[in-house]
Amino acid sequence: MKRVDETVTIQENKRINGKYYKLVFKSARLARGVQAGQFLHVQIRPDAVDPFLRRPFSYYRIQHDRIEVLYEVLGRGTELLAGLGKGSHLKIMGPLGKAFTQQVRGKKRILVAGGVGVPPLVFLAEKNPVDYLLIGTKSRAEVLPKKELSKVRAEILHATNDGSYGVRGFVTALLEKIIQKEGAECLHIQTCGPAPMMNAVMDIAKREGIPGEASMEESMACGVGACLGCMVKTPEGWVPSCIEGPVFSFDRLVRTCA
Amino acid sequence: MKTVDLTTRIKGLVFKNPVTVASGTFGTTGEYAGYVDYRKLGAIITKTITIKPREGNPMPRICETAGGMLNAIGLQNKGLDDFIANKIPYYAKIATPLIVNIAGESEGDFAKLARALQKHSRVVKAIELNLSCPNVEKGGAGFMKKRRLMKAAVKAARAETDRLLIAKLSPELGDVLEIAGEVLDAGADALGLINTLKGMAINIETRRSRIANITGGLSGPAIKPVALRYVYEVKKKYAVPVIAAGGIMTVRDALEFIIAGADLLAVGTANFVNPRATLDILEGMTEYCQRHGIRRIEELRGSFRHV
Repeated sequence: MKRVDETVTIQENKRINGKYYKLVFKSARLARGVQAGQFLHVQIRPDAVDPFLRRPFSYYRIQHDRIEVLYEVLGRGTELLAGLGKGSHLKIMGPLGKAFTQQVRGKKRILVAGGVGVPPLVFLAEKNPVDYLLIGTKSRAEVLPKKELSKVRAEILHATNDGSYGVRGFVTALLEKIIQKEGAECLHIQTCGPAPMMNAVMDIAKREGIPGEASMEESMACGVGACLGCMVKTPEGWVPSCIEGPVFSFDRLVRTCA
Repeated sequence: MKTVDLTTRIKGLVFKNPVTVASGTFGTTGEYAGYVDYRKLGAIITKTITIKPREGNPMPRICETAGGMLNAIGLQNKGLDDFIANKIPYYAKIATPLIVNIAGESEGDFAKLARALQKHSRVVKAIELNLSCPNVEKGGAGFMKKRRLMKAAVKAARAETDRLLIAKLSPELGDVLEIAGEVLDAGADALGLINTLKGMAINIETRRSRIANITGGLSGPAIKPVALRYVYEVKKKYAVPVIAAGGIMTVRDALEFIIAGADLLAVGTANFVNPRATLDILEGMTEYCQRHGIRRIEELRGSFRHV
């Protein structure tokens, strides 16, 4: 199969709240057949060696050939990306990786999101019937603007560390409440976010016997399964998350100490 | 435009052009097939194969550095039997010469690997000995610093195969010029210059290494001047074929190595950044030759002007 590595032109690249920037560009090939959970591999400055490696970003929203990405400035790469304006070029490989299971039958679906894990799960919830979308952030300033969530039909619940929006505390407290209310046997969880959050979610899921999927984030170089840098431990050994994931079923993940 | 003859010959082997890929940067079977037509490459060099499967190192294994990256993958691979059963048949369908990179923990390992690959000599055109992995205990650069073992490994492989035998070296082993002489005496036909240089990066917030293995192999443009210098010095001292590797990102880099005398150019880390790096280099090479009235790449190879 022919794979895409395309130079695109930035249409929009601006800060939308205290946490996220929104990047918008058009590409029919990078938009074709994409499912939530897949990612783009972006060369932020195509003609420079700084930053040296590409950066993976989740797809956030697709309308025809218009692609939106939400990102946080977390390091040198995203800092440089945030500095690029309309008309700048990016070189992008995609769509890469395995998506979340889109249709889950006979279960109530809970999505548990935090940080950079919010965009792909909003994407999933916009495209598929979902019961709950739980979002954890540090404070109100990081909560997505309401209009970004207007197409999500699920019940959306927020948790903030400082209690400035939604309930105070971790998103896992929201998860525990839903489990109490609905009963574990009818639930299915999909999660994406910082490792400590996902580990806590998976601990609860294991305790309650709830199936689900997690989207893993590891530093990545090639994005095609060649470098064996972005590995995730499974019962069969280390596997590259760029092609075997980033989405893994809970039962395929073996916990390792970071 | 006149066509440019990029044909490169090494000891009876004919490569249609000098562009290949560095071991460990192009996967084991078709990882880049969606981006690169493998038939267009001069040769393909596989990721290192060991006799038994290797699990590889803990995470994190890679980290970006200024103009490059560190890696400590730990030679993760599924082992010789899997390679023969599942990878050889894949390459058998591609006419591009296959160079299999091997590593062992003893001379016996190298002998066994070379013997097994010799049986597939229709597909395996050359064997590259990884004598310089910085990220494994046994069989890595540290181990091979015992020169006697390194020479024994080359001799052992030589005794088992008539394939083109390439010894891949690194300055981590000691004086490259001296070692080059020793592995050539031991029976190597060609040299791979250079493997990664051992390096380190620390996260100042956690005060831990950014690589679980603590140290890793530095690759990318950051090491190109070092690689170029070794290719130049080795070619000057020994009239042997050299497979150059080390920060070859663009056609400019590739041409520098050709001018210094390199026979094959192994594009490595560049593949991670630009999956089409090999083909971009090939196109640029033809264009450069046309612009300079060079009809055969041979005219450019080793044409470095000392004054």
